[in-house]
Amino acid sequence: MSALHLAWRTVRRYRAQTLLAIAGVAVIGALLFDMLLLSRGLLLSFADLLERAGYDVRIVGGGGMTLRMPIPDSAAIAGTLRGLPEIEKVALVRILPARIAARSGASAPSVALIGVSGAASGVWTIVSGVDLDRAPGEPCPVIVGRSLAAALGVAPDDEVRINAEPAGVRSAMPPIACRIAGIGRFAFGGAGDDTVATTLEALHRASGEDRPGDADLILAASRSDAGSGAAVAAIQRARPGLAVYSNDEVIEQFNRNGFAYFRQISLVLSSLTMVFAFLLVATLLTVSVNQRLGEIAALRAIGIGRRRVAAMLLWESALLVGVGGLLALPLGELLALELDRILRQMPGLPEQLHFFVFEPRALAVHAAVLVVTAVAAAAYPMWVASRLPIAATLRREVVG
Amino acid sequence: MAPMRPTSCAPAAVVVLCATVLAAHAQAPKDDGGAPAILVSRQLAARAHLAAGDLVTLGSDPQGSRRATFRVAGIYEPTPDPMRFTATRLEARMHLPDLVDLVADPADPASREAVTSINVRLTDPADAAAFVPQLSARTPGIAARPTSRARDDDPFAVLDRFHVAISAVTMAGGTAFLLALMVIRAEERRETVGILRLLGISRRTLLLTVAIEGVAIAALGAVFGILLAFATEGLVNRIFQARYDTALVFVRVTPSIAARSVLIAAPLGIVAGIAASWTLLGRDVLSIVRR
Repeated sequence: MSALHLAWRTVRRYRAQTLLAIAGVAVIGALLFDMLLLSRGLLLSFADLLERAGYDVRIVGGGGMTLRMPIPDSAAIAGTLRGLPEIEKVALVRILPARIAARSGASAPSVALIGVSGAASGVWTIVSGVDLDRAPGEPCPVIVGRSLAAALGVAPDDEVRINAEPAGVRSAMPPIACRIAGIGRFAFGGAGDDTVATTLEALHRASGEDRPGDADLILAASRSDAGSGAAVAAIQRARPGLAVYSNDEVIEQFNRNGFAYFRQISLVLSSLTMVFAFLLVATLLTVSVNQRLGEIAALRAIGIGRRRVAAMLLWESALLVGVGGLLALPLGELLALELDRILRQMPGLPEQLHFFVFEPRALAVHAAVLVVTAVAAAAYPMWVASRLPIAATLRREVVG
Repeated sequence: MAPMRPTSCAPAAVVVLCATVLAAHAQAPKDDGGAPAILVSRQLAARAHLAAGDLVTLGSDPQGSRRATFRVAGIYEPTPDPMRFTATRLEARMHLPDLVDLVADPADPASREAVTSINVRLTDPADAAAFVPQLSARTPGIAARPTSRARDDDPFAVLDRFHVAISAVTMAGGTAFLLALMVIRAEERRETVGILRLLGISRRTLLLTVAIEGVAIAALGAVFGILLAFATEGLVNRIFQARYDTALVFVRVTPSIAARSVLIAAPLGIVAGIAASWTLLGRDVLSIVRR
C-alpha cells in the first residue's frame, strides 16, 4: 500500500477533523489569496486605466504628477510633438471648475469641466448617446458623467448651460448653451464626482478668457514601431525641461508613493495568514500523530518503513492543504468581491479602479506558499513518527 | 465667529510653501540682513542639510526667475496627516505677505489678492452645518465645507470596515481551527468520558466541563494575542514610521479593542467546545466505551 493510499485512509477515517482542518485552511487560504490579489491589484487596475486611454506618454506642468499646474506654451509644445516621427497622436487636456444648469432649473455649482483637443477616446466610456467627435457642427457638445446626469435629470440631446471659471478668477460672464452628445463614465472620475467633458474650443468659450489658456496635461501616443521610451526621449530632445513621463514611469511613481500602504498591509496580512495556516496544519497533524502513536508503531512493526510513514504524514498534510487551498480560490474570489466593494467606497476614488485584481502570478505565489506551508507543517510530525521506538510504543499504547 | 485665517499654498519646484496669517506672528522680527524668516520641515532640513540660521533662496518657478532669500528660523515636525503619509513632506512655512511677494504675478495685481483657502473657526462648532449653506448663498463661487468629515465621506471609516471584514474572516478560520482541535481532544478522551458517564456523571455536567474548557482555551488564546499585539505594537509603529518618515501612529491596541477580542473569543470557545463534544455525548454510553 502506497503512502498516498495510507494517508487517504487516515483522512477518511478522521472525517470530522479532516473537514474542519480543510475548512480552516480554505478560509485562511482565501484570505492569503486575497492579500496576494491586493498586493498588486491597485497597480494593475491603475495601469489598465492608463493603457485604456490610448496614450502612453504624459506631459505635465511644474507641479509634477500630483499637483496639476498649467503647462506654459502648451499649444506650441503640441505642435512640436505632432511633428516628431515617434509620435502618432497628441491631445491637450485642460480642466476648469465650472457651474452647470439644466433647462429644468436643476444645477450643480461645482463641476470639473474637462476640455480635450480631439476626442480623447478611452478617457471616458460612452454609456448612452455619442462621443464628442460624432456631434459635427455642434459648437459646444458635452459628455456628462453618469451621476451628474442623473442628478440633473438630463439625457443626450438635452441643452445645458455652462459657465467655467479659471482658478482664482471670479467671472461675471454669462453661461454658454451646450448640447449633451452623450452620457459617459470617466476613467479617473470618482463615483460621486461631477464631471463634464467638452472640446477645448468650447471650454475656452465657456471660460470667457480673451485667449485660450494653457493645457494642464498633454497626452501623446507613440508609434508602435518607436515605443514610449523612444517617444519620451524624442520629446525631451525637442523640448528640454518638460516634465515627460511614459505610462510605465507614472505607474512606477504611483507604486512608490500612492499604493505603498496596501502593498505593505497585504504583505503583513499574507505573512500572518501563512503563519496561521502553518500553525493550524502543524498543530492538527501533531495532535493527530500523538493520538495515533500506537497505530503508527503497528504499521512500522508490520514492515512499513520510516520513509513510507513519513511520506504518509506528508501526504496527509498535502491533502489537507491542497484541498483547502483549492477551495480557497473560489472562496477568495467571493471574498475579494466583497472586500473590493468595501474599499471602493473610499471618497474620490476613480470609479473604475479596483483593489483586487486577478493575475496568474498571484495563483503561482498562492500555490508556492501553500506547498511550503504543507511541507513545513508536516516536518515535526514526520520527525516524531520516524523516531518512534516501535516496541516501547506498542507496549505503552496497546498493552498498557 | 472667531477670526478667519487665510491660508495659501504654492508648489515651488519641489517644495510646497504654505503661509498662514497668524496674529501672534505678524510682528515676527527679521534678521539683521533683512531676510524674512521661514520654518522648514524636518524632512526638508535633512534633505537639504539645513539648520536654524541658514540663509536659503526659494524660487517660485523652475527657472528661478522669481526668487527671494529667507532665513531659516526653525525646523518643525509636520503634523502627521493620515491622508498624506506616503508623501515626502518637503515643506516650508512663511508669512503670507512673503509668499505673495514670491509667487504673485507682477503683471496681474489681482494675483496678490488670491488665497488658496480661508480657515474659519466658529464660536460654536455645532453651527457648522448652518454656516456652510449661509456662506455659500452669500458668496457664489466659494466652496465652503466643514473640516470634520461625515462618516460616509471618511476614508478611514472605509478602512475601518475593511479591517473589520478581515478580522471576521480571520475569526472564521480561527473558529474552524479551534473546532478541529476540540474534536481531536474530545475523541482523545472518549474512554474517559465513557467511564465518567458509567459512574453516573450527567451529560449536562460533562458538557459544562467542555464548555468551560473551550472558554478557557479561547480566553487564554485571546489574552496571549492581546499581549503579543501589545508587545509588537511599538515594533510595527517604528517600522512604518521609519518607512514613511512620519510621526503617525499606525497601530494602537486600546482597552476597548482588547475587551472586544476577549468578548468575541469566549462565546466562540463555548460553541466550539459544545459542538465538538455533542457528537460524543449524544451517543449511547455503551457505544462510547465501544461495547
